[in-house]
Amino acid sequence: MKPFSAFASLPARLLLGSAATLSLLACDPENDPNPGPAPIITNSVFVVNEGNFTRSNADISLFSKASSSVTNLALFASSNKGAPLGDVAQSMAVRDSLGYIVVNNSNKVEVVSLAKFKSKATISNLKMPRYFASASSDKGYVTETVTYSGANGQVSVIDLKTNKVTKTIEVGSQPEQLAVVGSRLYVTNNGGNTVTVINTSTDQVEGTIPVGDGPNSVVGDRNGRVWVLSSGKVVYNPNPTLVTKGSLSMIIPGQLTATTRETASNQSSPGNLTINGSRDQLYYTYLGGVYTVSITEATLPTTPLIRQGTFRGLGVDPQDGTIYGSRAPFTAAGKVIRYRPTGAPIDSFAVGIGPNGFVFY
Amino acid sequence: MVLQTRFLTGPAGPLVWLTAALLTATAQPAAAQMGTNSPDTARVLQLPAVRVAGIRATRFAVGSRQLTLDSLALDKYRTGTLADVLSARTALYLKNYGPGQLSSIALRGTSARHTAVLWNGFNINLPSLGEADFSLLPVSGTTQIEIQPGPAGATYGNGAVGGTVRLSSAAAADTWGRGWQGAAQADYGSFGLGASLLMASFSNQVLALRTSLSYRRADNDFPYYASEGGQRVSRRQENAAFRQISFSQDATVRLGAASELTAAVWLTDADRQIQPGIGTNNTHAQERDQSRRLTAGYRHVSTRHEWAARAAWFEDVLNYRDNLNGLSESSVRTTQAQAEHTWRLASNASARLGAETQHFAAWVDGYGAAPRTENRYSAFLLLRYDPRPRLQLSLNLRQAVLPGRQPPLTPTAGAEWLALAGGSHALSLKANASRSYRAPTLNERYWRPGGNPNLLPEESFGYEGGLVHTLTATPRLRLKTELTAHQQLVDNWVQWTPGERYWSPRNLRQVQARGLEASTELRWTPGGTYQLTARGSYALTQTEKTQGTAADSDPVGRQLPFVPLHSAAFSTDQAWRGWQLGTTLTYTGYRYTDASATAFLPGYLLLNASVGRTLAVGPGWRLLVLAQGYNLTNQDYQSYQNRALPGRNGSLSLRVLWR
Repeated sequence: MKPFSAFASLPARLLLGSAATLSLLACDPENDPNPGPAPIITNSVFVVNEGNFTRSNADISLFSKASSSVTNLALFASSNKGAPLGDVAQSMAVRDSLGYIVVNNSNKVEVVSLAKFKSKATISNLKMPRYFASASSDKGYVTETVTYSGANGQVSVIDLKTNKVTKTIEVGSQPEQLAVVGSRLYVTNNGGNTVTVINTSTDQVEGTIPVGDGPNSVVGDRNGRVWVLSSGKVVYNPNPTLVTKGSLSMIIPGQLTATTRETASNQSSPGNLTINGSRDQLYYTYLGGVYTVSITEATLPTTPLIRQGTFRGLGVDPQDGTIYGSRAPFTAAGKVIRYRPTGAPIDSFAVGIGPNGFVFY
Repeated sequence: MVLQTRFLTGPAGPLVWLTAALLTATAQPAAAQMGTNSPDTARVLQLPAVRVAGIRATRFAVGSRQLTLDSLALDKYRTGTLADVLSARTALYLKNYGPGQLSSIALRGTSARHTAVLWNGFNINLPSLGEADFSLLPVSGTTQIEIQPGPAGATYGNGAVGGTVRLSSAAAADTWGRGWQGAAQADYGSFGLGASLLMASFSNQVLALRTSLSYRRADNDFPYYASEGGQRVSRRQENAAFRQISFSQDATVRLGAASELTAAVWLTDADRQIQPGIGTNNTHAQERDQSRRLTAGYRHVSTRHEWAARAAWFEDVLNYRDNLNGLSESSVRTTQAQAEHTWRLASNASARLGAETQHFAAWVDGYGAAPRTENRYSAFLLLRYDPRPRLQLSLNLRQAVLPGRQPPLTPTAGAEWLALAGGSHALSLKANASRSYRAPTLNERYWRPGGNPNLLPEESFGYEGGLVHTLTATPRLRLKTELTAHQQLVDNWVQWTPGERYWSPRNLRQVQARGLEASTELRWTPGGTYQLTARGSYALTQTEKTQGTAADSDPVGRQLPFVPLHSAAFSTDQAWRGWQLGTTLTYTGYRYTDASATAFLPGYLLLNASVGRTLAVGPGWRLLVLAQGYNLTNQDYQSYQNRALPGRNGSLSLRVLWR
C-alpha cells in the first residue's frame, strides 16, 4: 500500500488545468501559495492480497473505479497461465508502467507490466523482503528483514534495467516501509526506534535518526518533509502491554533529528501511514479506526474520521481522496470498504485472502 | 445363570463360571475371533485356566458405527504410521502436509481437534494443540485400531465430537498360551525410504508380553512440478527428510482367578525436517516430537462386579526450530487416572460408574517462563440393557469439570435392533444420539499473546441412524453392508482470528455437519487356499457454518475448507498358496481452501497395490517378501494446499516370522 510510490509515475498521468478536479482536493489555498503538482487521474485499484502463510495463494485483485466492481479477483494467476504469485504478498509499488510486488515468503519481487499484468522478471534470492521503492527508472530499493533475532536487516539496491541486486546496505533491525524523498531514502527500522537515511546518489548511509519505538510506515509530503509513524513498543508480560506509546515524527530533509508527537493512548499501535493526492493530509489506523491529520496541524487528532473496524490495509485514492480500508480474516475472502473523504461509507467489495494494501493507478 | 449360581454357592468352580462369563460378556467378539483364529481360541477355552474378561467400552456404544482395523488389516503397514493405514484403507480424509509430515484427521466434517485419540483408554491428543498428528503414531505400537465416527463424549470423554480413534495394545482374547513368537522386517523404498521392525511376544496362561521396536526414515527428495512464470518446472523436494523410532512394551499378568495387572510403555521419537510449501522460503525448519507414554492398570472381575483402575503418565515434547525464529520448545506432562466399577445386573443388563482425573503441567515457550498447570475431571455412568435378545439399548452420561466455564451434562443414547434374521439375511437397525464437548486446549487458553482463558468449551449434539445388512449366501461367501446417516451441530466452535496486533481464539460460531456413509465388505473363501476380501466405502460429508457471532466474518452456508464433500475407498486382498495381492483405490473429492468457498484443491484418485509371497523356510519359520507400489497412476496432487506429494513410488520389504 504505497500511494506515494504510485505518485512517482504521475507525470504521464497528469491532467493540467482541471479546476473541477482541483476542487476535490482537500488543500487549503490560503496556506498554500504554491498549487503543487497538477491533479491526478486514477482508473484502477490494485488490492494486494497477502494470502495464507506457506500456502502460496497470494494474488492481486483488480478493482475498476469506473464500474465500481472487482473485475479480476486473481489478476496475477489469470494473467500468467495460472501460475501462483507466491507466498505472502507483502506490498506492491509502481514505477513507470511496471508493478513491483514484494512476495515476502517466496524471497522475491515479481515485476509485472501494469497493462497486462504479465510477469516481466523476478528478482530472487532476497531475504524476507518487505517493501519496494524506486528512486528513478533505473534504481529501486527493497527492505529485507533477514532475521527476526533482533540483528540488523538490510536494503538491497536493485538495477531496474537488469532486475539484479547491485548492492546491499545494512540498516537497523526489521526494516519495514521506505520512501524516497528528494535525493534521500528513508528506511524505518521497525525492530528499533530509528530511521536510516541513505543518499540515493551514492547509496551510502548518511545517518540514523531517532524516532519513536517501532517505526512502521513513512511518507513524504508536498514540502519535501518526511513523516514517520511508529507503533510504540509492545511487551508481553504476560498480557501484551504497550510500554511506549505510538508516535508520529516529522523529519526535515538534511537534518538527522526528528520532531516526534506521541499518540494519546497506549492501548493501540498506530499503523498504515498514508498521504492524500495533494500530499498535505495524513491518514493512519489507530484504536480501531482511521485518523487523519493535516501536515500543518500542531496536535494529533483525538477523534477518528472513521470509527468502524480495524483495517489491515489503508489507502487513499490520490485523485479524489476516497478512503479504502481492508478487512482480512484470513480464513475467508477479505473485504474492502470504501469511504468518502468525509468518512461516510460508500460501498464494499470482496477480494482475495488477507488484503493488506492498495495501489492506485 | 446356572453357572453363576454355582459359583455363589462355593468358589470351587471359578474356572467354569469365568469361561461362561467370558462367553456372555464378549459373546460377539469371541465368536468373531473363533471364526478367524479357531484353533488357538479353542485351545484357550479348553485349557483349565482362568480368563479375566472385562466388558469393553464399545459394549456401551450401541447404535454407533464402528470401523475396526485388526492385526490382519494392519499387517501390510507394520512399519508405517496410522496416517498411512487410514488414508489407504478408509474413506476418512487426512489432511497431509507431505510424506511423514503433519497428518490431521477430519472426522464427519469436523476439525482435527474434534477427534479423540485414545491409547488403552487414555486420550493421547497433544494437550497443547488438542489434536494428534497421525504421522507420529507408528502402527507397530498398536495391535488394533477402532474408529467410531460421531459424537460420543459420554463414553470417551473430551474431544469425542467428530469421532474417536481407539488404539489398543492390551492382550487380546486370543493372545494367551501362544508361547514365543517373533518377527523381523526390513523395508527399502523410493526417496531414501528405509524401515525396520523387530517384534517379539510371549504368552502362557499367566503372562502375556509383547515388545516391538520400529525405525523408519526417508530423504523425501522426490521430484514434483511447480508452476513458475507460466512454465511447468520440475523441482526436487527439499527439507523433507525424517527419521522416526517407536518402542512399545506391553505386559499382562493374571493374578489368580479373576484379576489381572496390565502395563504398557510406548515411546516415540520423530525428528523431521518440515517440508516447505511449493515456492516458499525454505527456512530449514525442523521439528522434534517425542512422546513417552506409560500406563498401568488393575482389573478384578467377579460374577456380578468388575473393578478397574488405571493410571497413565505421558510426556509430550515438541521442539521446533527454523532459521528465522530460532528454537521454540514445549513439553507437556499429563498424569491421568481412571477408576470404574461395573455391575452385571443381569445377563442382559450392566452398568458402569467411573471417574477420570487429568493433570497437565506444561512448559511451553509460548506460555511464558512459569509452567502452566490445569486439572480436568469427569464422572460417567454407562448403562447397557438388552430388553429382548434382538434389542440392545445403551444410555451413557458424563459430566466433566473443567477450569473456567463448564460443559453441559453429555448424555448418549443408542439402540440396535436385529429386525430380520432369517435364512441367509440379517438386518439390523441402529440409532444413536449424543451430546459431546471439547475442552479448550492449553494453547487456546495460555498461548501469549492471544490465549483466551475465558473460552467456553465447545458443545455438540448429534445423532445418527442406519442399517447393517449381512448376507451369508453360503458359509464361504459373506457380504456385510452398512449405511449410516448422521447429523451434528457443534456450538461455540473455536477459531483463531486476527486482531490488531495478534491472533486470538474465540468462540465464533455454530457448525452443522451431516452426511451419509456407506460401506460394504465381501469375504469369499471358495475353498482351497484362496481367499478374497473386498471392501468399498463412500462418505458424503456436508459441513457448514450455520450462524456466528458478530466477530465472525466467515459466510454461512458454505462447505467448510478442507472437508471433501465426497470421498471413497475401495480395497481388495487376495491370498492363494502363500501369495498375496492387495489393492487400494481411494478418491478424495475437491476441498475448498477458504471459508468463502472460492478456491479449491482438485479431487484425486490414488491407486496403491502390493504383491507378496510367504514361504515356509523351516519348522516355525516363514519368510514374507512384499513389494508395494504407491500412487501407481503417477497423480500430481495435493492433500493440503501447496504441499508437494510424490508421484509413483514403491517399497520392498522382507519379513522373517517365527512361529
